[in-house]
Amino acid sequence: MSLSEFWDFLVLGVVLGSLYAVIAIGYTLVYGVLQLLNFAHSEVFMFGGYGGLLALTALIPETTPSGMNSVLYVAIGMLAGAALGGAVAFGLERVAYRPLRRHNAPRLVFLITAIGASFFLYNLAGKLFGRNALPMPAMYENGTALTVFGAELTVTQLLILVSAVAMMVLLDYVVNRTKMGSGIRAVAQDPEVAALMGVDIDKVVSRTFVLGGLLGGAAGFLFGTNSQVWYTMGFLPGITAFAAAVLGGIGNVRGAMLGGLVLGVVETMTVGLWGDDWRYVGAFVVLVLVLMVRPTGILGERLGRTA
Amino acid sequence: MLNKTIVKLAIPMAVGALALTGCGGGDSGSGGDVYKIAFQGPLSGDNVQLGQNMENGIQLAIEQANASGDLDFKIEYVPADDQGLPDKATAAAQKAIDDTDVVAVIGPAFSGPADTAAEVYGAAGLAAVSASATRPDLTTKGYETFLRAVPNDSSQGAGMAKYLTSKLKVEKVVVVDDKTDYGIGLADVAEKSLKDAGVDVVRQSVPQKTPDYSAAAKNVVKNKPDALIYAGYYQDAGPFAKKLKEAGFDGVAMSDDGTNDQQFIELAGDASDGWLLTCACTDATQEEATKKFAADYEKKYKQAPGTYSPESFDVTNMIIEEIKKLHEEGGVERQALVDALRGVKYKGLTKEFSFDDKGEFTNQTVYLYQVKGDSIEYQGSVDDLVG
Amino acid sequence: MSMKTSTPAESSRNESMAPSAAARLRKVHWYQEPRWRRLGALLALAVTFTLMTGEEGTTRDLFLALREDFTGPGLWLWVGIAVLVWVVREFLSDQASGAAKWTKRTASGPFAAVREAWGSNASLRVGVLLAGLALAVFGPLGLERYWQQVLVDQIAIFVLLTIGLNVVIGWAGLLDLGFIAFFAIGAYSAAYWTGALPVQPPVVLNNFLVIPIAVATCLVAGVLLGAPVLRLRGDYLAIVTLGFHEIVYLMAKNAESVTEGVRGVKVERFSIDLGFFSYEWKLDPMPYYWVLIGFTVLALFLFLRLEHSKVGRAWTAIREDEVAAAATGVNTVRYKLMAFAIGASTSGVAGVAYASKVGYFNPENFAILLSILVLAYVVFGGMGSIPGVIFGAAFLVWLPEALREWVDPKDRYMYLGALLVVMMIYRPQGVLPSRRRKRELEMAEAGIGGADATGPAEGRQQ
Repeated sequence: MSLSEFWDFLVLGVVLGSLYAVIAIGYTLVYGVLQLLNFAHSEVFMFGGYGGLLALTALIPETTPSGMNSVLYVAIGMLAGAALGGAVAFGLERVAYRPLRRHNAPRLVFLITAIGASFFLYNLAGKLFGRNALPMPAMYENGTALTVFGAELTVTQLLILVSAVAMMVLLDYVVNRTKMGSGIRAVAQDPEVAALMGVDIDKVVSRTFVLGGLLGGAAGFLFGTNSQVWYTMGFLPGITAFAAAVLGGIGNVRGAMLGGLVLGVVETMTVGLWGDDWRYVGAFVVLVLVLMVRPTGILGERLGRTA
Repeated sequence: MLNKTIVKLAIPMAVGALALTGCGGGDSGSGGDVYKIAFQGPLSGDNVQLGQNMENGIQLAIEQANASGDLDFKIEYVPADDQGLPDKATAAAQKAIDDTDVVAVIGPAFSGPADTAAEVYGAAGLAAVSASATRPDLTTKGYETFLRAVPNDSSQGAGMAKYLTSKLKVEKVVVVDDKTDYGIGLADVAEKSLKDAGVDVVRQSVPQKTPDYSAAAKNVVKNKPDALIYAGYYQDAGPFAKKLKEAGFDGVAMSDDGTNDQQFIELAGDASDGWLLTCACTDATQEEATKKFAADYEKKYKQAPGTYSPESFDVTNMIIEEIKKLHEEGGVERQALVDALRGVKYKGLTKEFSFDDKGEFTNQTVYLYQVKGDSIEYQGSVDDLVG
Repeated sequence: MSMKTSTPAESSRNESMAPSAAARLRKVHWYQEPRWRRLGALLALAVTFTLMTGEEGTTRDLFLALREDFTGPGLWLWVGIAVLVWVVREFLSDQASGAAKWTKRTASGPFAAVREAWGSNASLRVGVLLAGLALAVFGPLGLERYWQQVLVDQIAIFVLLTIGLNVVIGWAGLLDLGFIAFFAIGAYSAAYWTGALPVQPPVVLNNFLVIPIAVATCLVAGVLLGAPVLRLRGDYLAIVTLGFHEIVYLMAKNAESVTEGVRGVKVERFSIDLGFFSYEWKLDPMPYYWVLIGFTVLALFLFLRLEHSKVGRAWTAIREDEVAAAATGVNTVRYKLMAFAIGASTSGVAGVAYASKVGYFNPENFAILLSILVLAYVVFGGMGSIPGVIFGAAFLVWLPEALREWVDPKDRYMYLGALLVVMMIYRPQGVLPSRRRKRELEMAEAGIGGADATGPAEGRQQ
């Protein structure tokens, strides 16, 4: 691999990794407060893609918008994606997880519920919107936006990168600096004490899900813009993002961001070196190796102790 | 406990639903003979869309035949879902076989399932006519009732290679498969034919539904090929074409009958412009009928016909035709229908159907199409074009 | 079941606060009252049901299904049912619960009698078990050939797999999300040793002789995977096993010169040739079924012995509290490895049997989804309970096949998913839980359980 190719693939890896990072945050937040592997988060992501698609299909004009209009439609798509993602995550917590929490059910039971919910959601999406893939309507003329070390970034890639970074910064702020964030951290650290201190656990859990859902939904929209939208699109990115969350140290928000970036870059480099069929082999080999050396992930802390 | 209560309340609702749907079925027993045609293919699971395309084509053909009024019997449809998986195929085949009214099966849709199910069909003496299982060796294994109503990968792959080498005189080609049975089979043949012609070939694999085609596109471009062959379906060719364009690919792009579909253009947008698409189908002579088919299909299913819809439609009509002949001669037996189908000559929307003694499709001509603007235009048969 | 009585923890928390603050917290708007919330939830449920049973959407017109569903009669029907249920529940609850009690009372009499006879009469137990076995062996002869195929290709194979996974999850409490990887290794071993792969074995063996080799291969693979990762905690173990599965699956798919990749492998079917006696298994599913029953009974016999041996008790100790187990001298790593390897070896047997039955397979038969599904079968049936997991596998494999007749086959897994969710809310211990597991769950619900890998989440009680 020549140096210029190396930069090419690195840039692609960072773009993909930043998407993984945003999805992984959803896993890690929920894990932080509930110690639950929310398998259904991949469907939240998928519904985010459909949210953006539905809104844009309904609103976008025939000709490709330009200038401020482009920004407007991107914003609409992302907000719609985030909104649907958040709504699905909210419903998921209400219907599937809250009753289990009342029982203090074992974590494995949560896992099976999550799997069931995931099956239900993606098949429902397939039924409602058809099982073919659809492209996101063009919101702007895609072309090279800027060049980094000889690697060209398209508008879409730049959009993904910028929005992902913005979301991560915003989330980091929310978790570490706001009242809601301290609630989340308190519950993550010790739910019983938090409850005694007057934290409404139900509310915090619900908000955590919605927060993760908003991010996942927006990521779904971005993913759909880069690729396309279809009903099983959540599965592979979901599993990879889950691996990313674990890689960074599950329960740790900054760990999830780091894990996502690492896996995105590893994946893309693997593709560059050995081809697309080895993509996930590279990712999972790195995951297993890292966990063998550091059994709790790279940053390996709980959400509550990051601040 | 709110939610648990809700769930409890949901159960009477579900029971009510079952009761309601239960009332819907049960209007059989009208007079006259009934023959059933089964379809074995992926009606659920990952590849359900392809199965759906075929099922729709088949059901449309059956519906039109029943409505046409020139049959004095009734055709019914039986689905046999194999999810596109070899291990589910025997059970699916058995389902069709167990129903004694089933006189012919369309499918198995995929080559893997065909390999496990064809033997079962053979033992039962039931004709299995596949409109889409293209792996070349299927007809060499002595499956007694398996007929392939589609040219196999060898002819299409060779056709692609021939056009690229003889007409366009390319020197370096990247062949990309989608890691499916179909894509790999086709890419293997194309690769081999190209190499035989002395062309430099780079083989790559990009599994279906890859989350990001940018890296794959970079991998193609970095080899600086004159041409690219993508062996796969339009679902993946769409985003791939987009990313190829972004990556600055300027060579000849070529793909197969799995991509030869209007939806490829919808998915890829203007990135699909100029793509060469091969297909063993020709619509040049049957334009009127094809348009009618597309319109009927769209009217019934609220979507355009997809990959393999017209082929399945054709195969169904061919089978119905043979059933009709046998019915007039006295009765339709499974084995008799197998024999009749073996000797069939039928001209459908997509091609002319006939089989050799191994059940292989005889007409192995490959035609070339090209995407121009937002339509796929017919160019002619590869042999004619090469001249 | 009202909000108050069902959440004692919450109400006690409210009471423990200062009255003024508590009063402020307790102030509820009319729409927050349980009754109206229930109505809202029921209406949401009605909308969900409308979407589930409604129009099939298309990609051509994205809004088609939504439009049709929300303007069609289905919505009104479901909303009507929802309101009806709500009215009955809220205003006629006395009558409704009276009817329910009556049904329960009438049904409980005979049930109790049966249960008592079952508990007190040993010969009855043996008799019923023998009759059950006889039914399992000969009953399927009366089925349609289609169901026989389903029974062998899917149900029997998955029953064998869940029995193996039960050792890992149900007994030792290790969360394994990559179990099907061992199944794949078993199947590919069969292909290799019968000479079906492009790489030739030193000697070509009969399928039956491959079984011990496949078992050994899976044991080794289990130990190789297990040794480095077993010090990981539950959830980390889950993702590593998932990763292991993905690596095995992708190797099978990509290493074409060894495994033929997605082109698949054609494997010889079972055959016996002892000189004086020879038999070949052909297309008829039943002979395979009897072979599989044999394997299953053998595995059950061995595992039941294990469960009540020192090993089984060590597993239980590890599952319930690993630290305490280690402190009392249980070699946790050794026993965890053992569980892993024993589970893996069972799926090795399943792999060989599967390859020899279907005759042709490719990597798609070992997709990641199956690992997840097998796990669902085990938990659904009741972790740790042999009858439970057998039932779980048989029922959940059978259900999608049967659903085909009632609903659109494309939607089968939607209903399966919904069933899993409902089931876990209702009966987290599974359909037929083991006695010990059930007690553990009850303790957890009361807040005195430990926090092992599969145990309750720590401190989730409010």
